Amino acid sequence: MEACNRFGVTVEQLRSLVAEGLRAGGDWCDLYFEDTSYHDLLLRDGVVGSGGYHVDYGCGIRVLKGEKTGYAYAESTDLPSLLQAARAAGAIANGAEAAVASGNRATLGIVRGRTAKRWGPKDVSGGWLPCSDAAIARYYDEQMPWEEAETAGFIPFLQRIEAGIRARDSRVLKVVAILSYSVSDILMYNSLGELTSDHRPLGSISVQVIFRQGERTENNTVSRSLRMGAEFVNDAVLEDLVSRAVDGMDARFEARRPKGGQMPVVMGAGASGILLHEAMGHAFEADFNRKGQSIFSGRMGQRICRPGINILDDATVPASRGACNYDDEGVPGQKTYMVTDGVLTSYLHDRISAHFYGVAPTGNGRRESFRYNPIPRMRATYMESGPDGTREDLIASVKRGIYVDQFANGQVKIGEGDFTFFVKSGFLIEGGRLTMPVKDINIIGNGPQALADIQAVAGDLRIDEGTWTCGKEQSVAVSCGIPSVLIGNLTVGGE
Amino acid sequence: MITDKELDFVRQALDMARRTGAQHARATLSKSEEDLVATLDGEVDRVTHCADRSLSLALFVDGRYGSYSTNKLDAASLEGFIARAVAATRMVAEDPLRVLPDPARCCQDALTGNELGLVDPARNGITPSARQNLALSASVLASLHGSHGFAGATSPDVPHDGAEAAAASGNRASKLACSSTPCTPFQGDSAISGGIVRGGTAKRWGPKDVSGGWLPCSDEESGTEYEIVSEEGEYSDSVYDSVVMDTNGVCCRHSETSFDYGVEITIESEGEKYSGYWWDASSRLAELDAAACGRKALARAVGQIGSEPAPSGRYTAVIDAEMASKVVSPLLRALSGYAIQQQNSFLLDSLGKQVFPKGLTIMDLPRIPGQTCSKYFDSEGVATVEAPIIEAGVVKEYFINSYMAGKLQMTPTVEDATRPKVFPWPCAGLDRDAILRRCGSGILVTDFNGGNSNPVTGDFSYGIEGYLFEDGRIVRPVSGMLMTGNLLTLWSRLLAAGDDARPCQSKLIPTLAFAEVDFSG
Repeated sequence: MEACNRFGVTVEQLRSLVAEGLRAGGDWCDLYFEDTSYHDLLLRDGVVGSGGYHVDYGCGIRVLKGEKTGYAYAESTDLPSLLQAARAAGAIANGAEAAVASGNRATLGIVRGRTAKRWGPKDVSGGWLPCSDAAIARYYDEQMPWEEAETAGFIPFLQRIEAGIRARDSRVLKVVAILSYSVSDILMYNSLGELTSDHRPLGSISVQVIFRQGERTENNTVSRSLRMGAEFVNDAVLEDLVSRAVDGMDARFEARRPKGGQMPVVMGAGASGILLHEAMGHAFEADFNRKGQSIFSGRMGQRICRPGINILDDATVPASRGACNYDDEGVPGQKTYMVTDGVLTSYLHDRISAHFYGVAPTGNGRRESFRYNPIPRMRATYMESGPDGTREDLIASVKRGIYVDQFANGQVKIGEGDFTFFVKSGFLIEGGRLTMPVKDINIIGNGPQALADIQAVAGDLRIDEGTWTCGKEQSVAVSCGIPSVLIGNLTVGGE
Repeated sequence: MITDKELDFVRQALDMARRTGAQHARATLSKSEEDLVATLDGEVDRVTHCADRSLSLALFVDGRYGSYSTNKLDAASLEGFIARAVAATRMVAEDPLRVLPDPARCCQDALTGNELGLVDPARNGITPSARQNLALSASVLASLHGSHGFAGATSPDVPHDGAEAAAASGNRASKLACSSTPCTPFQGDSAISGGIVRGGTAKRWGPKDVSGGWLPCSDEESGTEYEIVSEEGEYSDSVYDSVVMDTNGVCCRHSETSFDYGVEITIESEGEKYSGYWWDASSRLAELDAAACGRKALARAVGQIGSEPAPSGRYTAVIDAEMASKVVSPLLRALSGYAIQQQNSFLLDSLGKQVFPKGLTIMDLPRIPGQTCSKYFDSEGVATVEAPIIEAGVVKEYFINSYMAGKLQMTPTVEDATRPKVFPWPCAGLDRDAILRRCGSGILVTDFNGGNSNPVTGDFSYGIEGYLFEDGRIVRPVSGMLMTGNLLTLWSRLLAAGDDARPCQSKLIPTLAFAEVDFSG
């Protein structure tokens, strides 16, 4: 297998590593090899004057025994280093004191179950049968491999972005544009004998523009990120970034802070999916529920929002930043309905939480790199389109409220369910019409209350393609989306 | 930790870069080790040992610049890596302003890495079982296993004088003593009864707790009842060692140990969950007060029971020292040379000007021995110096590295503040409770929930939780509120800066008070 060659290992050696990991009595072992290169080019003050690349390479080995998890990694894939890591991981499962083999990161986890289940191959795999690469759908690919692309060709592309922006708005003061791309080759093997590999490209461009109008200065940041090869660098992406970089700046200069308080909020399609990520996505990650910490703990099967609403976490959106051919436990990418017709139908599981709840893993076991053990994480989280007309219909239904469509960041308190997101731009709604532009306000709400208070869902689902990164313990690429929705009452920051 | 052989390796990497075509280069080798014990509900949950090593290179090739890093540190891999890095650097545009720092400005006195005395040899003697004991003994819930009662936090509506609530001590059966450290708005030494477990739902306990269920507790004074849903603690000790060398002969090294404990406790009361977090850290094991963290975290969680928004309006805002960096960090970012050069700063053209009230003085104190986060040099190897950043409201320093010095045609300083300290005002010795008394009434902010600030305008909007206070005393908890304004306006209304910064934090920011701040609820 070509992926084995990349890491200088044979299938026979993978078997021997698993055997070594299990030698101390472990019930399950899996291996996660990673070779990642990250590249970037930066345009500032009109020139692409710096660039770089960064290499991260190694292998993480996990051993499960009963309710315990052992984890170790090596920053080299020579057999002695891997065997040392396998032994460390295996020993960890039998006692923490063996966990400190030099040069390894090792993790011992005690997973509390309702009963003292022992992992059996079937339990651990959650029913997944060994699968060949050929049987698995692919949700991203490199038509033009980044490694074969001429880096020098990207430089004029960045310069064209700046030129395009300056040509469209004379108020532009400064432009910073960053093209980055990473390519990760992943090889996974487990004690079921499942051998999987994945080639994960990710291209991203972010553009920050500073504008000056009279004495006032404003900024705007736009980005685009997709799992694809160097074909990502194309004129359509350029046009999209340029137009979004300058769109709405007249309103931005006019924008004011609204009077703060509770009011109806219409969330525009696309990036407003941050609502789902913060208000419910994290609370549906099964580790929080397993520990009883989530505000949604114990609510499986209950109605949490009105009938007709479906909310998903989906690894199968083609080329999405949140797409996964496999998760980082070798579970094939899939679509998970968290809410079906308004009823909570699934948490987001890695293998451990799936075992705890006695369900199949949902392919949400993800990690930042080989240095980390996988935990339940989101992928592309969105709500399906609804029956309530258009964005304009939703706005027209609001007597006094706010419309928001661009965001910077969000956060949630898992237990309390209180979430916030920072709005870069929006408008007041007065008498069913958009009136005064607003910007730089935080909005706060409570997850279950906000979900229950979704009063209308338009039919315009859009999945955002910005550079969303989720920072739960580890950083992973995600995406989010939503159709335009009306929430009856959220608290809006203001004067 | 970094061996002589590895120091030679760094020199070889610089030589290799020069042989491959770089005229100048800077190499930074970083090594770290960390051991961690995480607990869940008073039991060991996870034990981690990390060891990492990476080399970063800044290359200056034919007037061009690139930065690179790798963890493949065998000689053969490194040679290919550097060759590729040099070739990649040649692709970008020339930028004559990219230069190494003047060696005369660089650090000359960080030779062993431990000149600041931040390496505690005690770390070498900690065994895995000792780590587990440290983590478990700090756990509030670990002390409850096998017991039928414990002391805990008080109710949230007890008028207080700012002392923290009592909570569990190391003695399972005893009441907790009240720490003198200001933390949450509770006082007293009230006991909480606990240990009767509820059957049924999620099983949280091991064999000793055969009935399963969460742990019910109540405050003996007020009768406030709650259940402890979970306690997640994390103890870690680590050592970090880095060396910076460049082709001008600069060589400086920094080593530091760190001992950390943090804990989050989630409770449930009347169907609502509340969480509280507290942490401590020190470069010296003996100075780590892990045992207090669980008590404080529990008190913070219990303190929020029954919280709800206060009416929207303008209030005096007192921001607890634990969280006050939220309104100081944006000032420091706005003084960065990169922000100034890109005009992405609300403090443009502020150098030497009275931008802030006379009560605000921020000094950078990077060279105090034994102080966590002190450091003799920045990432370029430039020596840090004690210097005013803002003095009596006047901006005294932009953070200008070698590159930005050329871009801005300004004298270089350092890349960033290392250990900034906000000085007390209007008098020394004020802690949070004294500030509450001075302010009379308003909102005490003890935690932020999200939000952001606009670097160009200084406009901010943050989610908050905390307490409504009147006559200098806590009235009730508040949450689900937003604090919104502009940083320049906020600071112009500075009422007081306390003298209670936590030394474990990298920025020494005390409790701060501001007049007329907009809160929405």
